Amino acid sequence: MNRRKFLTFMGTAGVVSALGTAKVAEAGVHTFPYYDNGYGVLHDMTRCIGCRQCEAGCNKVNNLKKPDVPFTDVTVTHKRRRTTTTEWTVVNRYDLGHNEFVFRKIQCFHCNDPACASACFTKCYKKNPDGSVTYDDTQCVGCRYCMVACPFYIPTFEYEEAFDPIIQKCTFCHNRLEKGQLPGCVESCTMDALTFGRRKDLINIARKRIAENPDKYLDYIYGEHDAGGTAWMVLMPKPKGMPQIATGNAAEAAPAMKKIGLDTHLGTQPMGELTYGALGTVPMIISFWPVIFGGAYGMTKRREAIAKANQEKAVAEERQKTLETVVQCIEKEQGKEAADKARAAMTAALDEQDAKAEKGGEDK
Amino acid sequence: MRNGKALLTQTLKAAACTFCLFALCAGPVAAAELEETDSGAPSAMVMFPVTGDGTATKGSMKPAVFNHLIHEKAVSDCVTCHHTGDPQSCADCHTLTGSPEGNGITLERAMHATNIAPRADGNTPKSCVSCHEERYKAKQECAGCHNIVVPARDDKWCAVCHNANVTPEQLAKGSAGSLTAEENLEIATKSVTTKVAPEKVPGYFEPTKVIIDTLADEYQPCLFSHRRHVASLVERIKNDKLAEAFHYQPEVICATCHHQSPLSMTPPKCGSCHQTKIDPANPGRPNLKAAYHLQCMGCHTGMGVQRPANTDCTTCHKAKPAAE
Repeated sequence: MNRRKFLTFMGTAGVVSALGTAKVAEAGVHTFPYYDNGYGVLHDMTRCIGCRQCEAGCNKVNNLKKPDVPFTDVTVTHKRRRTTTTEWTVVNRYDLGHNEFVFRKIQCFHCNDPACASACFTKCYKKNPDGSVTYDDTQCVGCRYCMVACPFYIPTFEYEEAFDPIIQKCTFCHNRLEKGQLPGCVESCTMDALTFGRRKDLINIARKRIAENPDKYLDYIYGEHDAGGTAWMVLMPKPKGMPQIATGNAAEAAPAMKKIGLDTHLGTQPMGELTYGALGTVPMIISFWPVIFGGAYGMTKRREAIAKANQEKAVAEERQKTLETVVQCIEKEQGKEAADKARAAMTAALDEQDAKAEKGGEDK
Repeated sequence: MRNGKALLTQTLKAAACTFCLFALCAGPVAAAELEETDSGAPSAMVMFPVTGDGTATKGSMKPAVFNHLIHEKAVSDCVTCHHTGDPQSCADCHTLTGSPEGNGITLERAMHATNIAPRADGNTPKSCVSCHEERYKAKQECAGCHNIVVPARDDKWCAVCHNANVTPEQLAKGSAGSLTAEENLEIATKSVTTKVAPEKVPGYFEPTKVIIDTLADEYQPCLFSHRRHVASLVERIKNDKLAEAFHYQPEVICATCHHQSPLSMTPPKCGSCHQTKIDPANPGRPNLKAAYHLQCMGCHTGMGVQRPANTDCTTCHKAKPAAE
């Protein structure tokens, strides 16, 4: 195979593989099974008063380190805080303008298709049928790819730990759900701003609330489709004086969402699917390369073998020809008997020489 | 944009209207019963759904009586409702089935539409319902309750406006458009004058105090001054005509907090429906603690009450004395 043929072949293979992956993306194949009966939580921001009781509840049920600032001090919500290794959930205050302040709780959104899990190559993350995304540290190598992958900046790494640092994040109180208990934050919410239920029921509840109070809510359920859908969803207030948006129109909701620190550019595609195209070709390359190079190697080998065989055949024929000429001369001068003897002796001598040469060649 | 012909027609109609009005004011028939309007329009009118083709409507709803007098006093100028600038009837453009003059907006929508998208030129039209909504949301006395309660759009709510007492003959005549202005005013005046204001029943503000102790755990029980709260609400809205009309029964005010159950002077307790722990069958129904907080804080937030702050727990329920 010459260079041109090889390139043509690789080009064709590339097109075929691209078509294949495009089909995968079209079919919307999920890397994670969609649990129709999974639980979720609806955070109704219009109800939230920023009392930090959810933070206290989380701290209590998960036996986390006591905070430096007591939970009764609500002024810390004025800062843009992020989750930490010991604060799996935080409530921040946002300014909507017109002297209107709202609060939003930040924690793991428990995506339907978690980006953290798709990025983890040691399979530490798991999407459970109850809707939670949990992390098991036993195989964690501390690469922090999950932190890079998460569109909500949720997983946190124990940088302060000198030995065996691991990731810490909200677990949706998976262990409590298994016992039939509510998550710590939901249980301690004094305003029922956090509604726990099956994800599909929550969407209906959210729709009902929007329909009953179209002036109060923005007609957008954050997390219904964002980032491929999340178990935790946010119902946002409509800033005063803002016209109502078309139902679920992300572009129209963006200005309001920006004010409350929600990412508007995540799209509706699961984060993991974005990398399918690129990563999908990896197995193809891995399976094609041995075939291509094995084939090329085999062809060369075969060609060499044929050449060698032809050469050997020519040599043998030449030798036989010379031998016959010599033998015919002997037969003419010394008779047939002597000729036969000479032929046998010469053949034996030549064979011995060949064998010796071969052996010598090997030795070299 | 209306074309010239339509403009001419409307001008003629307006002229005809004015003529009628003068004729009416001169007539001694029903004008004595109601105060006269500043604009010279009839003080009250029955708004018949005029079919336009001379036939009677088949609907079972009573026609609405529009008290022009009190509405004229409540708004700054005529353009608030007569948004074209002409004192013409709504039904001229907003017909039952919609017409190009009315931008295809039917009479029903023109009267009832809510959440009307704001217009770029700032001249956002209003419907009866949207204007009423705007009013109770803007007025501090009303905004508290109306922040936590959505008025039920039931028959009683409809009947607040749709209360014209007309005979089937009058209805047929009215919807065919052949009822005279005098007859219309007579029916309207009768409906307005015979309307009775809701009475105050004894024990309206009872009980005086409520001790909420079922959940007392971290804090001491909460002492709720029930009488003071209700009395204050009633006192603040007593001169509001809109509130008077729509709070058609004294119990309507109770129904803000004592919601979801039929109107009653002895409504069920909060705990009858709201359980201490959330009911998995009704995940959308707040638990008892949240129900209290949502009602109290929702109303206070709506009214713009600054103190106590929502996160100032010990103002409503005192902190427990430290254990010795």
